[in-house]
Amino acid sequence: MSVLLEVRGISKSFRGLRAVHDASFDIPEGDINALIGPNGAGKTTIFNMIAGVYAPDSGEIRFGGVPIQGLRADQVCAAGIGRTFQIVKPFAGLTVLDNVMVGAFLRERQASAARALATRIVERLGLGAKRDLPASSLTLPDRKRLEVARALATRPRLLLLDEVMAGLRPTECDLMVAVFRELNRADGTTILLIEHVMRAVMALAMHIGVLHHGEVIARGTPEQVVRDPAVLECYLGEEAEV
Amino acid sequence: MSRRSIALAVVGILLVALPLFAGNYALSVATLILYFAYTGQAWNVMMGFAGQLSLGHALYVGVGAYAAGGLFFYYGIGPWAGLWLAIALCVALGLAIGFLAFRFGISGVYFALLTIAFAEFTRIGFDHFGWTGGPGGMFLRVAQRDTWDLANFRGPPLMYYYAMLALTALAFLACSLLLRSKAGYYWQAIRENEEAARALGINAFRWKLLAVAISAAMTAVAGVFFAFYYNNLFPEQIFNISRSIEIILGPVIGGVGTLFGPVLGAAVLTLLSDGITEALGAMGFDIPGVKQVFYGLVLLGVVMFLPHGIWPPIARRLRL
Repeated sequence: MSVLLEVRGISKSFRGLRAVHDASFDIPEGDINALIGPNGAGKTTIFNMIAGVYAPDSGEIRFGGVPIQGLRADQVCAAGIGRTFQIVKPFAGLTVLDNVMVGAFLRERQASAARALATRIVERLGLGAKRDLPASSLTLPDRKRLEVARALATRPRLLLLDEVMAGLRPTECDLMVAVFRELNRADGTTILLIEHVMRAVMALAMHIGVLHHGEVIARGTPEQVVRDPAVLECYLGEEAEV
Repeated sequence: MSRRSIALAVVGILLVALPLFAGNYALSVATLILYFAYTGQAWNVMMGFAGQLSLGHALYVGVGAYAAGGLFFYYGIGPWAGLWLAIALCVALGLAIGFLAFRFGISGVYFALLTIAFAEFTRIGFDHFGWTGGPGGMFLRVAQRDTWDLANFRGPPLMYYYAMLALTALAFLACSLLLRSKAGYYWQAIRENEEAARALGINAFRWKLLAVAISAAMTAVAGVFFAFYYNNLFPEQIFNISRSIEIILGPVIGGVGTLFGPVLGAAVLTLLSDGITEALGAMGFDIPGVKQVFYGLVLLGVVMFLPHGIWPPIARRLRL
């Protein structure tokens, strides 16, 4: 399997606070990867550096072999990386379908083609019945789905999911897991997720990276990671049941 | 045909037929309504669609008016050529303001302040340029008023009415097409949440500049109309901030971001304020400033009771 995303020694500090220090990892094409770690470990900072919200202070990020660090968010998206936001950011005044169409216009010039693509994605995420409602009327689980639908409409090769399971009930969480599995299997979309909900991580991830104090302290398959003593100590807790 | 297009057709036919049963005074009021409907539509592209608040749109009216008016006054070049100079200058100005603001991340009220600043210092500048006539004004030759001289845009009130009607209809059509295109979706995304828009591959800087350029170009055309309709231009009047406010009142009261809002708002405001002035006049009162007080009250009422403007509830009620 070829490597789709290479992260090499990236660091980022905010006014002297070291958020991420010398983090490195690879994500193979077609993989589902999870990045876990306690609050404040630097997960979202890493996401934001990949997604072009801000540039790393040092280090390199390559996507499909091309350096992308320092590109703007819209350029990163155009390159083929879609993202969701931890704190959902729907276009509140637009309908569900129009929200998704905005994403679809990245690859489709014509409104009719964008609408067709958006309609398929909205159906796939189970929002079909709500497509003509304003996004502001959606419940939190539906807003999370809308985040995913919008990102998918840009037809990403790599999908970055920032805590899309947080706040979902277990059954809703399982539905999301099924959507991502299907997406990965049918479209070959590579996925990198940040997640606190271990139920989802264990169900989805083929590989896990563990972040602590801005550093990657463990990487491996879910089975390897949950047995890693360093991980148990800093994050899962010794009594963790997975 | 949808209910909406039937309603549009009815309004269109009424407006085209209006001169058959309206005198010159009614026609001049109708022309004024259309003028505000048009400039409101232009302003709405920037604020209503893309969410960029301009409180200095008088800048584009003034520069457009002086560009075409100046060419006519000094060189006898008609408005059809002057139009392009007016558009080019206003687009350049809009892009310059937009570039400064968006490049350095100025948004919201600070962006609005920047637009006021540009309109104000252009007003002061035009007061001091020799070729504009300064505070003394620039006066365009008023020629025959009874024949249609389309080449020089000189003619009876009927001609100005139909010209303004054509402009308003074109602007309405253009805006409805824009709103349904990629540009419209991208602008609305930027308006609703710029960070989320960027994450979907939208180069916000470029699309905001496009909105400013289109809005400025449309407003420039209104300026050319203004110059040849009123025939006299004073920097103090044309660039005045109250002109900018007048432009935005229509869409604000009608419904920001809607297609019908600017048209409806312009009609309601102009008719009511004219009506009140007339009624007070008939009763023997002549109170200066009554129009401003009236605008203030209407604005207050709309903001309090219909924060999205008067069009959205009407559209719901009539199922348009």
